[in-house]
Amino acid sequence: MSRPFTHALAIRHLVCGSCNGCEHEMNALAGPDYDMTSEGFEIAASPRHADAITISGPMSDAMRSAAAATIAAAAQPCIIVAIGDCAAGAGPWCGIGTAGNGAGEEVGAEIVVRGCPPTPEQIKAGLREAAARLNDGSR
Amino acid sequence: MNYRECDVSVAELPARVREEAERTIPLGAHASANVVQYTFLEREGALALRARVRDGETLVSSTPSFPMFDWDEREMRDERGVQFVQIPDERPLFIEHGRVPEARTASGRGVTTIVVGPVHAGIIEPGRFTISSAGESIAHLDAQLSYSRRGIERALEGMHVLDAAPLVATICAACSVSRSWAYARCIEALGDCACTPAAEFARLIFAELERLYNHLFDLASASAGAGFARGQLEGLRLKERVMRLCGEHTGHRFMFDAVQPGGVRAGVLADPAALRASLRAMRPEIERYGTLLFETRSLVARFSQTGIVSPERAGAFGAVGPALRASGGRADVRTHAPYGAYCLIRPEVPYESAGDVLARARVKYREMLDSLRMCDLALAELGASTPDEPEELSFRGGRWTAVTEGARGATVISLGADMRGSITRMHCITGSYRTWPLVARAMEHGIVPDFPLVNKSFNLCYACADR
Repeated sequence: MSRPFTHALAIRHLVCGSCNGCEHEMNALAGPDYDMTSEGFEIAASPRHADAITISGPMSDAMRSAAAATIAAAAQPCIIVAIGDCAAGAGPWCGIGTAGNGAGEEVGAEIVVRGCPPTPEQIKAGLREAAARLNDGSR
Repeated sequence: MNYRECDVSVAELPARVREEAERTIPLGAHASANVVQYTFLEREGALALRARVRDGETLVSSTPSFPMFDWDEREMRDERGVQFVQIPDERPLFIEHGRVPEARTASGRGVTTIVVGPVHAGIIEPGRFTISSAGESIAHLDAQLSYSRRGIERALEGMHVLDAAPLVATICAACSVSRSWAYARCIEALGDCACTPAAEFARLIFAELERLYNHLFDLASASAGAGFARGQLEGLRLKERVMRLCGEHTGHRFMFDAVQPGGVRAGVLADPAALRASLRAMRPEIERYGTLLFETRSLVARFSQTGIVSPERAGAFGAVGPALRASGGRADVRTHAPYGAYCLIRPEVPYESAGDVLARARVKYREMLDSLRMCDLALAELGASTPDEPEELSFRGGRWTAVTEGARGATVISLGADMRGSITRMHCITGSYRTWPLVARAMEHGIVPDFPLVNKSFNLCYACADR
């Protein structure tokens, strides 16, 4: 391994009006090709256990309060990662119909992974960045 | 595939719906300005029963005789203001302005309720599931969806049909091809345009690749639901192989915009022989995967007799896709009302009758082998040639309904547009929309730990059900 193990990351994922493309690509991280467990990444069963919250979609009206409650419940420090163009405020559904202008934008994501949807490799890179930021004491 | 409309009065509508639902395959219902439409699939194509509703006029609900119309009629009521009498479920269908409809729960001695969602302990779309259980046994499951609702159908009104095509592709990622195909067929029918044979073969290939990666994901997810890690990991590995092939040969892992009105995107399938060789190499691996799943006795035991959908219930709820064909049903849009290259390359559709998790898994597994067979034939037809750019359209406006067979069943697009190509109404439902109410019913008499397994045996999307 070229990079030493630095930080495990427990992740809580929030889906806020996503088309499910970002979710398919995040699910791929559990498969043998991307094996996120080798990085020390896992999906947390509660926001109380999360080091990172990933968020996808433009933000749907119905998810707004559940998203806020999830973020408020997370123990600090916790870093928010926007997954995909919609969450970044640049996706196909931003501002269309009752959709918001980007879930990641709305909740102040610190790291943004672009793509429609981003590839599993790109998502993994974003999560590595999140782990590095949590670990380097810069926040 | 054709399309015909039949104007009926509000008074005769319920009787006509009953008649057509028995004669044909009922698909769903929706409303546009002052008109309700119940849509069916005949051998020749879609049939629309359309009734004009005058101000203050009320409709008799068809839900008491056909529970499948429950969501459709509540949506017509909530979104388009259609007034029904005898609608069994008075609750709103959608979450509006943060108000979540109250869950229906069972009551009785020792019954307790467990609420999960809308955020889940995994990478899963949002939904609230309220389980009423007496001990371990589930008495009732209430599934509240619409957390992913973006108000898509209204938002598309007024948009040009061609400008809306890339949005239609991303209503839900996992059903993108089947929906774009149905949408393109509507536009082509209203634009006096016929695709080239090469484009039709390419569309068949995309649709079968979509079925393939979805079914692999479903089998991986069902394995995970049963705690069989090997089946999950091997399924995810094979799914990734298919998605990489999609990326290489269409430019996008989910094949967004590969199907376009008038044909397929220029540059796709640049090397049909390479794709054919890759898919041929995958066949024995998928067969080994089938052996792993269906010859692991503990997994088969867990899948058996779990989450049973009886043929009667599948019929009453208008089940489509593998959910129907695992419960003794036969209908598949590709063979019932063939379209595109399915007129030349005929699917060999597998059936099961037990209606349990195992039957759904077996149907999907055998469908995958047939998808590979059809891709092989279609790629052979393409030979070394690649599809041309999309054909020109001369759009004349009007209404059309087109139906395709997605990975989870019938994808139905009803499109209305004016002479300039401006959308007046676009209604879109998928196998997920049709099958969700059935998932809740399949849980009854199961045990609480069955829920993830039974849910994943359907593995429905939320995004295209919510829209």
